[in-house]
Amino acid sequence: MEELQLKKSLLLLSLVALLGAGCSSTPLDAPGDPAASNYYGTDAATAEALGLEELRGNTLLTQRSVFFDFNKYDIKDEYLDLIGAHAQYLNNHAPARMIIKGNADFRGSHEYNLSLGQKRSVAVKEALNALGVDDSQIETISYGEEYANQECQADACGQDRRADITYEVE
Amino acid sequence: MISRMCSIFFGLLLLISTSTYSLEVIEILGGKASEIPIAIAPFEGSEIISGQKAHQIISSDLNRTGLFRPLNTSGISNPPSSDININYTKWSAMDAQFIVVGKVEIENPVSGNIKVTWSLIDIFKEKTVVSMRYTGKKSQYRAIAHKVSDNVYEHLTGSKGIFHTKIAYVKKVNDKKYSLNVADFDGFNSRSILNTTQPIISLRWSPDGEKIAYVSFEKKKPVIYIQNLRTGKRTLLANFKGNNSAPAWSPDSRKLAIVLTYNQNSQIYTINADGSGIKQLMRSHAINTEPSWAPNGEDIYFSSNRGGSPQIYKVNINDDEISRVTYEGKYNLSPSISYDGKLLLFLTNDQGKFKVAIQNLISNQVLKISEGPADESPIFAPNGHLVLFTYKDYGKTTKIGTVSINGLKRLPINVGTSIIQEPTWGPITN
Repeated sequence: MEELQLKKSLLLLSLVALLGAGCSSTPLDAPGDPAASNYYGTDAATAEALGLEELRGNTLLTQRSVFFDFNKYDIKDEYLDLIGAHAQYLNNHAPARMIIKGNADFRGSHEYNLSLGQKRSVAVKEALNALGVDDSQIETISYGEEYANQECQADACGQDRRADITYEVE
Repeated sequence: MISRMCSIFFGLLLLISTSTYSLEVIEILGGKASEIPIAIAPFEGSEIISGQKAHQIISSDLNRTGLFRPLNTSGISNPPSSDININYTKWSAMDAQFIVVGKVEIENPVSGNIKVTWSLIDIFKEKTVVSMRYTGKKSQYRAIAHKVSDNVYEHLTGSKGIFHTKIAYVKKVNDKKYSLNVADFDGFNSRSILNTTQPIISLRWSPDGEKIAYVSFEKKKPVIYIQNLRTGKRTLLANFKGNNSAPAWSPDSRKLAIVLTYNQNSQIYTINADGSGIKQLMRSHAINTEPSWAPNGEDIYFSSNRGGSPQIYKVNINDDEISRVTYEGKYNLSPSISYDGKLLLFLTNDQGKFKVAIQNLISNQVLKISEGPADESPIFAPNGHLVLFTYKDYGKTTKIGTVSINGLKRLPINVGTSIIQEPTWGPITN
């Protein structure tokens, strides 16, 4: 599982690098620049209010998944930096809206896994609340096991035990 | 006969639950011996209908229950077709305790309607138990055979048969193709009533038989719909902030228990079937989910991790009083209650294997009726004598099957090669 997570982080890092490369070649704040639509289709003013450059440029903010143990929803210390960065971002950008999507591996019932995924998204929300983020900026939902790998074995199922941070603007 | 069957039935349950929970042990303890040997003779004239023959349909029906042992009658020459001239010596030498005989005839050459005349005969008493005649279209042949099974079952067990009922399930063709299907209880005559690109879960058939409630992810999060089976029309029951899931009908079909989250953990609410009158049932920091309405209309069974790992509890809807129901095992889920309120069906994690279990709510004895390792979604037949559940075929593809509540007979329901999950069972209708 750790190896898989590492691979995922590497993948994220390379994605960030790619995005970064695209960014440097097109100045996004140029008035009338069609590339401004790269900010998820928002105009420059909205992009600034939402701090979109930071959102996709800051390495910690591009990390969006918090992983959990089987049937657990307590947040491991290794995710505190990631959560701290997102809390700071939300606190600095009041119009930003986050949706946290909880997930579970396939073992157990569909409904209980929906609740477990929800517990995980709520755990992330509460960690953000503790850092001063208001509930009005966050919606928590769960996908349960519905998009999980139905054939995973042992540690590989760990990939499905997670909460994903997304932003409404995306 | 009825009381004798009942004593066999419950005697068996007791016998099994005091032993270790291995199915091999159950069989050694004489489960097989307590099945009633019954011969279903090939019906005279059944060659006028193509496909499975009446005696095969009836044998397959009775075999699923774990209470009967249908004898092989395919090699019998000149089988009797009525209760006249039964060779009792011959059938009793075959160990048959009962025999079903019958014939199929064209009733009306113009319409092509058929007539099925049949009898159930007690071999030991040398006496006819019941004789009946059904007429109908050729296309209703399977339904007529199921009606014969219902009658045989009711005469010999005292309980209504479920062979004429319907089931519904979700078929997952691929990650972008799901359908909600309705079929006969044995998987025949299936048809899809909804096609969608997103998952569908938690189907629940209303006790009045008219509607199915389910959870759909088509709005990018779980919401609850109710679909009318006659009109095909569906209405959105719940689309509140957060998740909307786990619909469970009240016995009168007028209300549902549902699970909502808003921005918190899963909690149970009750709501009228028209979407009005929403009310939270209880509040806790733990997960409360998978409500299942007891037949008394006052208790709702549910799963909760309030004690650490998930267990089954019940709450009284009038005073919110909660009590724990399952104590055996560390991880119990997915409660559903038999229609007489006496048996609790649930899913238990037995050392990493998910199995279907039944707890007698009077004695609190628990019997595991499936072997796992990844069984799910157990639901009672409307007579409480059979269970529909899912299992992983060859450890991979989820399929549906039935298991008798004594755990003796586990048989697949074949509805195709796709993933089949989240089944529900419709009520007995006339």
